Amino acid sequence: MRHLAPNRRAVLLALGASGLALAARAQGPVPQVSDAPAAEPRDTARRVPFHGPHQAGITTPRPENGLVASFDVVATSLDDLERMLRLLTDRARFLTEGGPVPDLDPALPPADSGLLGPVIQPDNLTITVALGASLFENRPWLAGLKPARLQRMAQFPNDALDPDLCHGDLSIQFCANHPDSTIHALRDIVKTLSEFLVLRWMVEGDVPPVLADARGATPSARNFLGFRDGSANPDSNDAALMDRIVWTTGPHEPGWAQGGSYQAVRIIRNMVERWDRTPLVEQERIFGRTKMSGAPLDNPDATEHHVPDYAADPEGRAIPHDAHIRLANPRDAESQRHLMLRRPFNYSRGVLPNGQLDQGLLFICYQADLEAGFIAVQNRLNGEPLEEYVKPVGGGYFFALPGVRDKADYLGRALVDAARRT
Amino acid sequence: MISPFLRSTALGLALAGPALAADPSLDLVGPLSDYKIFVAENTAQLVSDAEAFTAAIKAGDLDKAKALFAPTRTSYERVEPIAELFSDLDVSIDARADDYEKAEQDPGFTGFHRIEYGLWSEGSTQGLEGHADRLLADIRELDSRITALTFPPEVVVGGAAVLMEEVAATKISGEEDRYSRTDLWDFDANFEGAEKIYTLFRPLIADGEADFVAKVDGNFQAVREVLAKYETPEGGFVSYEELTDSDRNILSAKVNTLAEDLATLRGKLGLG
Repeated sequence: MRHLAPNRRAVLLALGASGLALAARAQGPVPQVSDAPAAEPRDTARRVPFHGPHQAGITTPRPENGLVASFDVVATSLDDLERMLRLLTDRARFLTEGGPVPDLDPALPPADSGLLGPVIQPDNLTITVALGASLFENRPWLAGLKPARLQRMAQFPNDALDPDLCHGDLSIQFCANHPDSTIHALRDIVKTLSEFLVLRWMVEGDVPPVLADARGATPSARNFLGFRDGSANPDSNDAALMDRIVWTTGPHEPGWAQGGSYQAVRIIRNMVERWDRTPLVEQERIFGRTKMSGAPLDNPDATEHHVPDYAADPEGRAIPHDAHIRLANPRDAESQRHLMLRRPFNYSRGVLPNGQLDQGLLFICYQADLEAGFIAVQNRLNGEPLEEYVKPVGGGYFFALPGVRDKADYLGRALVDAARRT
Repeated sequence: MISPFLRSTALGLALAGPALAADPSLDLVGPLSDYKIFVAENTAQLVSDAEAFTAAIKAGDLDKAKALFAPTRTSYERVEPIAELFSDLDVSIDARADDYEKAEQDPGFTGFHRIEYGLWSEGSTQGLEGHADRLLADIRELDSRITALTFPPEVVVGGAAVLMEEVAATKISGEEDRYSRTDLWDFDANFEGAEKIYTLFRPLIADGEADFVAKVDGNFQAVREVLAKYETPEGGFVSYEELTDSDRNILSAKVNTLAEDLATLRGKLGLG
């Protein structure tokens, strides 16, 4: 005998004769715990173009899931490096465009992990490849080609860097609508590039989807401190603005690096238990924004996008001088030089040895000039009251390669060509 | 000259045949017999090395025991691809402290690594006599089993890949010989043992798989070149702690790629 689920039995019992039509409708399959979560018309078919002057995943709208993996590169010659970059490009092109997985002889390991089934859906996946300063060290055949601002991430005063979570020769940022897509892509890269890439560290995170408000605007997502994050981010649809803030150009950078972008990754632990025990008024003064709406404290009834008027608040009565938003962006002429495009995700990685939650922010930002961007802003933030509640433990600086223009091009081709000329 | 022992093993293989699993393809018989001889050579060597090693422990000669620890292990590490064929002995000969709830203090912790812990961490042969007797008895038992042991081709061929997986998962990080830091001796023997299998079966696929063979050959060669940098004039290896990050990365990449490629060897040979 098939058992009726209790809720269904209750429904049937409760229905009188007049409920027959309803009862008939209830004959459909009843969801089970073991069912896959009901798929809404999934966004899995959506595709972010792989080819273009810049890599995708930088100004591309941020989907729900993000993952950064950092690798050491095993390449002892320029030929090795070229083979690695070509193979990486092939995999990234396939994974982001999607398509059927090849069938192999079943006596062999399958070509694909199978996580996404027989046909890979693009799922808005982007794969963004960036190089660390260490890649250029001890490789004389790359001498003189390191991007001008690329450097090893140095410790800031509030950092407690874990060497196992820092640096790397090459980073890959994976973003997609669903976490199985980012994990699938990472597994594919780890498998197909085992000869060249040794994984150092990996952090995955997500951002909650946010419903549009009554006026159709989508508010910024919240971080694990409960505050909206990204309110003051520059408009990533403004191409001219992105050319100024995000894309590396100009004679001070090597020719091959034009159109790339500096990537700063920071793994920032949040002391969430302590934060949750902090009075609301103090939390808001630490950020300089109201917690629920995100409006700056000088105009708490405005929206999160209201631009605070610091000139009208020279003594810091409404927004303290050491509030996070006031230090990070004082909104003066000078601060235009220090803008960057942030693309963070929240992470939750289990429990720390002290019994507290290991949660925080996988901070990712892009800028045309690493020193004028992230480094300058972080130096302004040193000593901010928020430091009591956050602790950067890892990350690194990388240079996101220029884009892959077409099927014949590959990631880093301009770098390889430049190295062959020298 | 071939030892009397080896002659009798080879003879046993040729005549009795129980060494081979039911109905292997004729092509596999040659490499399997050759591999069995390789194993028998190594377990015979292991017995004589273990006799000297355990004698040094029982004589209370700490320096000699420490000097003989790594070279004695190499014959064992070379046959590790087929350790699943004697898994009971593998546990008592080669288990690590983290396989036991009470780690080093666990009464179940025996074998090479228990002795290694005593020699290096406790700095003494005292209290190791029982472990030495047990190790030698286990090793003699292992050696005595080889002649009658069946070598299923899929286990032998698969063993090369399995050992590479183990090196990638729990050896490259320097966990195996954590008290003595003699890990590089083990790496060398493990790669040699896996390569032996690959080399014996390679002629069966070389014609149709030229790219595969070139890639695997190249990766074994790359491993040998890295390890050669750490050899001592006496024929041994320096401490694991001297392995540079960059060389460890090369070994790690090569061992993962070897695991990836050797995992296809069973399928390429038509073994289930």
